[in-house]
Amino acid sequence: MDNNKSKKIYKAKVFNIEKVSKSSHYIEIECEKPVNVKAGQFISIYCDGLTLRRPFSVFSNNNGKIGVLFKERGKGTEYIKSLKPNSVIDIAGPFGNGFDIQNKKALLIGAGIGVAPISFLKSKLNETHIENIFASGFLNKEEIPNNIQIDKVYTDDGSFGEKGSILNYLEKLIKEYQPEIIYACGPQIVLKTAAELGEKYGVETQVAMEKVMACGIGVCRGCVINIKKDGTVQNATVCKDGPVFKGNEVVWND
Amino acid sequence: MERLNVNLNGLELKNPIMTASGTYGYADEYNDFIDVSNLGAIVTKAISLKPREGNKHLRITETKAGMINSIGLENVGIDEFLKIKLPILQANNIEYVMNVAGSTIDEYVQMAKICNDNSIKAIELNVSCPNVKSGCLEFGVDENSLYELVSAVRKEYKGFLIVKLTPNVTSIEKLGIAAEKAGANAISAINTLKGTSIKINCFNGKIQKTIVSGGYSGIGIKPVAISAVYRLSKVVNIPIIGIGGIETLEDVLEFFAAGAKAVQIGTANFTHPETAEKLVFELNDYIIKNGFKNLEELQKELRA
Repeated sequence: MDNNKSKKIYKAKVFNIEKVSKSSHYIEIECEKPVNVKAGQFISIYCDGLTLRRPFSVFSNNNGKIGVLFKERGKGTEYIKSLKPNSVIDIAGPFGNGFDIQNKKALLIGAGIGVAPISFLKSKLNETHIENIFASGFLNKEEIPNNIQIDKVYTDDGSFGEKGSILNYLEKLIKEYQPEIIYACGPQIVLKTAAELGEKYGVETQVAMEKVMACGIGVCRGCVINIKKDGTVQNATVCKDGPVFKGNEVVWND
Repeated sequence: MERLNVNLNGLELKNPIMTASGTYGYADEYNDFIDVSNLGAIVTKAISLKPREGNKHLRITETKAGMINSIGLENVGIDEFLKIKLPILQANNIEYVMNVAGSTIDEYVQMAKICNDNSIKAIELNVSCPNVKSGCLEFGVDENSLYELVSAVRKEYKGFLIVKLTPNVTSIEKLGIAAEKAGANAISAINTLKGTSIKINCFNGKIQKTIVSGGYSGIGIKPVAISAVYRLSKVVNIPIIGIGGIETLEDVLEFFAAGAKAVQIGTANFTHPETAEKLVFELNDYIIKNGFKNLEELQKELRA
């Protein structure tokens, strides 16, 4: 078989797996050869015995090692959590479009496990010296992954950083920091609010969406959302057309 | 790999491994994983006369042994398919069967004419769409409606006509016989089973339910599919293409033993996108290793 044909699916080895907060883990996967990944793209992991592969935004990509942050949510993540260094797993990707990085002063918003692609994006922006500030919200101090650098932290219970939901601070952040672009990932309410505020203050927004997926490559049409494009409302797949969409294109109907 | 060639009552394929409608898009997407031209044929996503947006609510959910989908036949429509997707299949040298869906006999007939005019070599009728005339029953669950539909399509379409049967019936044999009588060249079985998943979450003392109803597919439906193929093979003379939960070479052989001459891989394409191509190579190795002359001989032995 021609190896070039199977370029998007690989056997890979778990290099490291560790708990990084009360409910999230970090897994580092060693690929046979380095893989190019854009911030916002995702990989899918086959979980032993389960029908659907699980998609994860890429958190880091250094020296042929892809890092992923995940929260234990069900059988898939339970399997991944049980892996040990040197376990061989089946990964596919990278999939999706990724953020369209602009040379503009950026406000980065990552809420909950949505910090993963945003943290990766920040490292890309830093590499090219694009000015940015990374704001993030969590339930409490214990939920903050210990392996990321966040500039402004908000916790619902005030146990770290400023007290309250990041939602309540978004407008203030935009006014104070005056970003030219906003990149966001997290619960839909955070993305929607960021998109609306972006509209209000005339700031471009890019949001990374999440949806249950089957194929990850646009064929099954399982992860479709509505977007506004060319004057009409159209279907778009989160896996292939996204996961990153312009905030003002998304129809927030869920 | 000529030993894998199969002749389905007039449709010659380089091997009996096909992919099921709705799980392979229009095939070019899978070139990132395998060489799709190695497959016997791919069956396109269901195509309707006009583009369809599909369903609004949550479309997929995983079950213990498979998944449930309620995509709602979202597709680009036949005009766009012929203009954009077909040339890609042709350029990549991919053998294809076009899956055709409609809501009225007239719609199917119009599609049949278009396929005929465009020299589409093979079509597979999706008859699990509601038939408005017979009180919203699916065409595929009533033998008279099915006979009428397949006969009407047959009149307009000279190519290879496959009818894909639904398992959601009392006697799939009757439907198979009706399709054969009406002039189908082959039968594919089975389409998805009717399924519902209700996932329950309790959050702060409040019950939250996530309900997905639709077509159940994957490994869990294999025994149902094997049974359908086995029963059909006793009552029809046209070739049967087996579909339902195929993941491994053992599954493929089981379908051959039940009477299928070819198979379609469905949900497994999502789990392991390289499955179909892998099965082609494994089947080839199996024939060589066990000293059979070719696929035909293997299938004969499996059915004896």
